[in-house]
Amino acid sequence: MSILIDLCNNLLVASFVIQLLAIIFVFNKNNRTAMYSANIVLLVGLTLGLASTLSSALFSSAEISTESIFLGYIRLDALSLYFLFIVQLVAIPTTIYNFSYLQHYVEKKRPIKSFVVFYIILIISTQLIVITNHAIFFLVSWEVMSLSSYLGMILEREKEEVQRGSFYYFAASHVLIFILYIMFFFLHNQTGSWLFSDYHLSFSTGIVVPTIFILSIIGFGIKAGFMPFHFWLPQAHPVAPTVLSAFLSGVLIKMGIYGILRTFLFIKPVPEWCGWLVLIISIISAILGVWYALAQHDIKRLLAYHSVENIGIIGIGIGIGFIGSANNLPAIQVLGFGGALLHTLNHAIFKSLLFIGSGVVYQNLGTRNIELMGGLVHRAKYIALLFLIGSVAISGIPPFNGFISEFIIYMGFFNTADELKNYYPILMLLFAVGLAFVGGLAVACFTKVNSIMFLGSERKEVKHFKTSIYDNISLGILAALCVVIGFYPQPFVGVVNKVISSSFILGNSSSALIDIDWLYFTIIFTSIAFGIFILALIKIRIEKKYGRRTSDAWGCGYNNLNPRMQYTASSFADELNTIPQSVLVYHKKFEVSETAFPLPSKFESHSKDFVDSNIAMPLFNWLKSMVAKLKYLQQTDIRYYIAFILIIISIYSLIAFLWV
Amino acid sequence: MENVLSILFCLSLFYVIVTSRVKAYVTVLQIQGVLLSVLLIIQVIHNFSVYGIILPITLLLVKVILIPRYINKVISELEIKRRIEPTIQQMILLPIVIVTMITIFIVSSILSKNTAMDVIPFASGFSSIVVGIYIIMFRKKLIVHVCGFLILENGIFLFGTAVASELPMLIELGVLLDVFVVVFLMGITLNRISSTFKGFEVSHLGRLKD
Repeated sequence: MSILIDLCNNLLVASFVIQLLAIIFVFNKNNRTAMYSANIVLLVGLTLGLASTLSSALFSSAEISTESIFLGYIRLDALSLYFLFIVQLVAIPTTIYNFSYLQHYVEKKRPIKSFVVFYIILIISTQLIVITNHAIFFLVSWEVMSLSSYLGMILEREKEEVQRGSFYYFAASHVLIFILYIMFFFLHNQTGSWLFSDYHLSFSTGIVVPTIFILSIIGFGIKAGFMPFHFWLPQAHPVAPTVLSAFLSGVLIKMGIYGILRTFLFIKPVPEWCGWLVLIISIISAILGVWYALAQHDIKRLLAYHSVENIGIIGIGIGIGFIGSANNLPAIQVLGFGGALLHTLNHAIFKSLLFIGSGVVYQNLGTRNIELMGGLVHRAKYIALLFLIGSVAISGIPPFNGFISEFIIYMGFFNTADELKNYYPILMLLFAVGLAFVGGLAVACFTKVNSIMFLGSERKEVKHFKTSIYDNISLGILAALCVVIGFYPQPFVGVVNKVISSSFILGNSSSALIDIDWLYFTIIFTSIAFGIFILALIKIRIEKKYGRRTSDAWGCGYNNLNPRMQYTASSFADELNTIPQSVLVYHKKFEVSETAFPLPSKFESHSKDFVDSNIAMPLFNWLKSMVAKLKYLQQTDIRYYIAFILIIISIYSLIAFLWV
Repeated sequence: MENVLSILFCLSLFYVIVTSRVKAYVTVLQIQGVLLSVLLIIQVIHNFSVYGIILPITLLLVKVILIPRYINKVISELEIKRRIEPTIQQMILLPIVIVTMITIFIVSSILSKNTAMDVIPFASGFSSIVVGIYIIMFRKKLIVHVCGFLILENGIFLFGTAVASELPMLIELGVLLDVFVVVFLMGITLNRISSTFKGFEVSHLGRLKD
């Protein structure tokens, strides 16, 4: 009976039911009606879910209950609620963008129904992952999530790059789930339970718990995209439909972060080497991720590498939190985990903003190559502005949200250096410099993106640039969130603090996070914004008085430039890319004729992924050649298979017999 | 009494190994069906129940009458030749089977020290499973494969009665239905195959490989 009451009272269940109902609407004969009705119903369900999450204890002053409901399958603790909030928050704008994105496919009379179904399943399973309390349920939801996102990814399955890129994702997901299976079997073996709430292990017991930790870093690290395991990410994200790549980059890879944090809750407190391991992996991910991003021409691939970078930044926060946990210092934990959690939210917001923005451009131009874009600000002012907000936010420049979370992580560095004297200050200084370097490269990268894409004149002729109201709404929501979190971080920081104090540190919590005077940020940012506003007004006044002088972009005083003479993205990034040439696998090819009458010259530059081309692919090719040697086992005759079965059964029986 | 029936069952296995005629397989199937039914009826006599009598009667109906008739019909309709066309000689297979059976009987008797079970029905059932697999492995004709599969299934039946004194009846009936459907489908498939390929040997099916 109590379950029934829970069921009736729980808005969340209602939201899940409505989201599931959306699938029914897909089976309308008319593609257009099916797409619209299913997405609207999904949107209603998500909004309801978001409302229930917002009305939960996490966002009010009430205590967060740690009890599990539905026979222990579901538990809404603080961490779950926080990630549920992220999923729902990002899913709403992406679903709104779905209207305009799928409209293109409807007009081309392409089948989209399966995509909509997989999208709905993906969103539901992602929400289930974060709220479940049962290991098997978790693994099943995880697999459903991976498969549905793969199936959604092959919307344009006739293209070869789509097949290739999505297969990367598929293979990575498969490897990952095996690692997770092993990890959860270890956990079950140690505790004798499948419930997350029963998993309390201490690190001091033997080799098993470190193994679980390493497996979680590898398994969830593949999903999150930490550096050695990131190679699927830049392959899969560009080929996915924009809606999906926004959701994938915004939310799905955060499931890896969720998994790592969840595992931490099972085995806390961790020893210090765990923190250093995560820190080092993360700083490498952050630096190399952004550096790779700088070398890309494909806008979506560039953004995918930025995901690697930002996952690195989140990982840095987690690493600091681990170090704090090892030394039992709540202040460091609060700052480390707080920065990580807030950056998770922030990255989810601005990365989906940027992906949707790039998707709008892609739909209109039909290319993802930055070198072919240009001057789009004259076509779509609003999109350009919102994209700029996202770019500024992802670069960690005040006054937007990226700055706030990175600021907390810097505070974490300084706090660690302060509290754990010894050799820590030097190391923390190094990491802080590394993070600052990442921020600098990110600024360079997004300067490149924005200036090449939106400024200058059009490199490729744009016939008509059409943006729908849905693009503007979904981008607007995300940009507004960036601005709100940036200008008024206090409530968000409070929520993050509550997550940490109720999930990560029990008992003696620290107020290091909320002690920062966040209201100063609001005041400073508002006054800066007001100052800019005043300056803009003055500029407009002056322009009115004296008129405005216009000339070609990057004209440098010359006249009659054509678009091809503009500064290009690769020349912008060339200096930075040539420094780590061997790691970036950055190739340049000149073809300059030096005859008396010059022939057309050519220049090419492209960067391959080091892990992909030098480690992963050779490894898999080797495996393939090994496995090919087993091919003779595949006979045409069923009798051989029966014989194999008999042999295997005999071996098993023999083992079982000897065992008895 | 159960032991006697199980031994008879084993003897029928020896016969099926040495025979070279397809029809003999069908006869053996019928004999095995009768043996299994009698085995079940004896159990019912010990403690009588109306429901208990349904299973042996259905078994008799399906295994002794329906399936053999159907197989015979397929054989005569498709004009399948009488020889079973073995890949190894019967006289080589026979020692292999004898060695297997001896191993199984010894292993079962050792196992029976730890677990409560009837040794002889258990071992006979197990032998029947292995012999069924042997028949599928070492015979070329598809119809013989069907028979081998049925012998394997009989073995599982005997095995079940030996391990658990009584399986839930519904499950047994369900298994019977499954077997019947499988045989039925194989008949249909054979009909189809006969219109595509000349012979009825599995080696022809290798052409279906992609």
